[in-house]
Amino acid sequence: MAMIETFGLTKRFGSLTAVDDLTTRIDGEIFGLLGPNGSGKTTTVKMLTTLLTPTAGDAHICGYSVREHPRDVREHISYVPQDMAVDPKLTGRENVVFFGKLYGIPRPRDAAEEALARMGLLERADDLVRTYSGGMRRRLELAQALVHDPSVLFLDEPTIGLDVAGRRKIWEHIIGLKERGMTVFVTTHYMDEADHACDRVGIIDRGKVIVTETPGMLKASVCRDIVLIRSDDRFKGTFPEGVTFLGRTGNELRFEVEDGDEAVLVLSRLFAENGMDIRSVSVRKPTLDDVFLSLVGEQDEQTAFDLTRFRTMLRRR
Amino acid sequence: MIRTLWYVERDLRRWLRGRINLLSALIMPAAWLIFVGMALPIRFTDNYLDFITPGILVLTMLGAALQGGSLLMFDKILGFLQKFLAMPSPRESILYGKILFITLRGMIQTTVILVFAIILGAQFLDPVLLAQIYLILFIFGILLSSITTTVALTLEDHDTYAAFNAMIAMPLFFTSSALMPYDQMPSWLAVLARLNPVSYAIDAIRDLQAGIFPAMTLAGLLIGAFVVLLISVIIFRRATV
Repeated sequence: MAMIETFGLTKRFGSLTAVDDLTTRIDGEIFGLLGPNGSGKTTTVKMLTTLLTPTAGDAHICGYSVREHPRDVREHISYVPQDMAVDPKLTGRENVVFFGKLYGIPRPRDAAEEALARMGLLERADDLVRTYSGGMRRRLELAQALVHDPSVLFLDEPTIGLDVAGRRKIWEHIIGLKERGMTVFVTTHYMDEADHACDRVGIIDRGKVIVTETPGMLKASVCRDIVLIRSDDRFKGTFPEGVTFLGRTGNELRFEVEDGDEAVLVLSRLFAENGMDIRSVSVRKPTLDDVFLSLVGEQDEQTAFDLTRFRTMLRRR
Repeated sequence: MIRTLWYVERDLRRWLRGRINLLSALIMPAAWLIFVGMALPIRFTDNYLDFITPGILVLTMLGAALQGGSLLMFDKILGFLQKFLAMPSPRESILYGKILFITLRGMIQTTVILVFAIILGAQFLDPVLLAQIYLILFIFGILLSSITTTVALTLEDHDTYAAFNAMIAMPLFFTSSALMPYDQMPSWLAVLARLNPVSYAIDAIRDLQAGIFPAMTLAGLLIGAFVVLLISVIIFRRATV
């Protein structure tokens, strides 16, 4: 049994299909759902966390159907939404103990202590949350989410609005949770973070999941490494096998290769043997940004904002 | 049930730590009591303080309910509600917790009024009378806070709720029997006052002062509170699923 399984999961708001026939299987990993604004990421998370009822299809979380047994699903999950919602007039400890009580766990104070320690917040646990930084507030939300030791954690844009150090710390904690056996489902706009932390990513566009794969495989599928060499001399020899010459712009030569790091050495040696002076060499590896843009494209919003439809969606959320 | 109390505890802690909110909630009703109860030139009674106190008590509960109505709306706007809804505790306990907190907060405020009124000479020291007054205020509080919480939940934003608040607060108070008895009102106002639910609570407390147990009014308030709470639960379920 996988921790998250979806079967033709679909959500429609009137004529708009926000999530279209999603079938996937996620277990014991960090799964990142990537997509442009309005592509259906949050709607997917809301269906999986029982906040929205699917129009068609179903999802099983820890073996429980979100349609048939939503309360059992909620027993086994935690959800940290995009909006940072912690009570600034309560202390960090009070915020976590409150969640522990709501989850009905036997010793909420002890569990809160453990969750706060895990998130590195024990020293500031008795300070009012209004004195916490953005990163600390997000970690406090994670402590709240972990207080009942869930099997699956849903995070909607967990690092939005945080500085670099704050983001890094949050991801360290998320990776740590996966290593302890937790399944983490995360939505994010930050491709570099997804590349670094997610075991697999799914790319969703207009409600359809276009592809689900490891970041490495996705990058390899889009294009190979690009080697850029600047030289004022002309090359007269032949290029080795596996190196494709893409063209020359000014004094810059571009090559597509399988492994950029190895090819740099081979090409540098070859150029030197042909008596050429090299000014600079660089390698550009494909990123998830390239994958994302090749699959989804740069989308400008072409249609006028439909206020009525927006309100309907908000009300149902 | 215990989950409802945890929600109440959360709101209570937050309220008690907001010093300005706390101070304003306690001083406002006292100001009404002193400036209206003691300053108006009244001829129809020798003890206007005894007459006006039930009105101020009910007004205070009305104000507390109107002010508290937006609490659940803010939980929704700020993202707390989503987190609570994704928890295994019964979702209705969020609504019950909010209604109970608003009512309890109103009762704390009415206690301040009662203490002030007793210090100023009103006759409310009988423990049975006090218990019965609290019962009426509690039921009235549940009725009102169910209405305001539900209205706020169905409105789009806080500004719209503030407009609703302003629209109903003053008319409800001034068309009630709070300030003068029915026989002193113009006839058109007396008709409105007899229809106004705020008058029911005020008249019930005045009956208790006169030694009459207002069984019918109490039953009416109880049934009203039950029906409104039921409607609130239905609307809450629709708004959250």
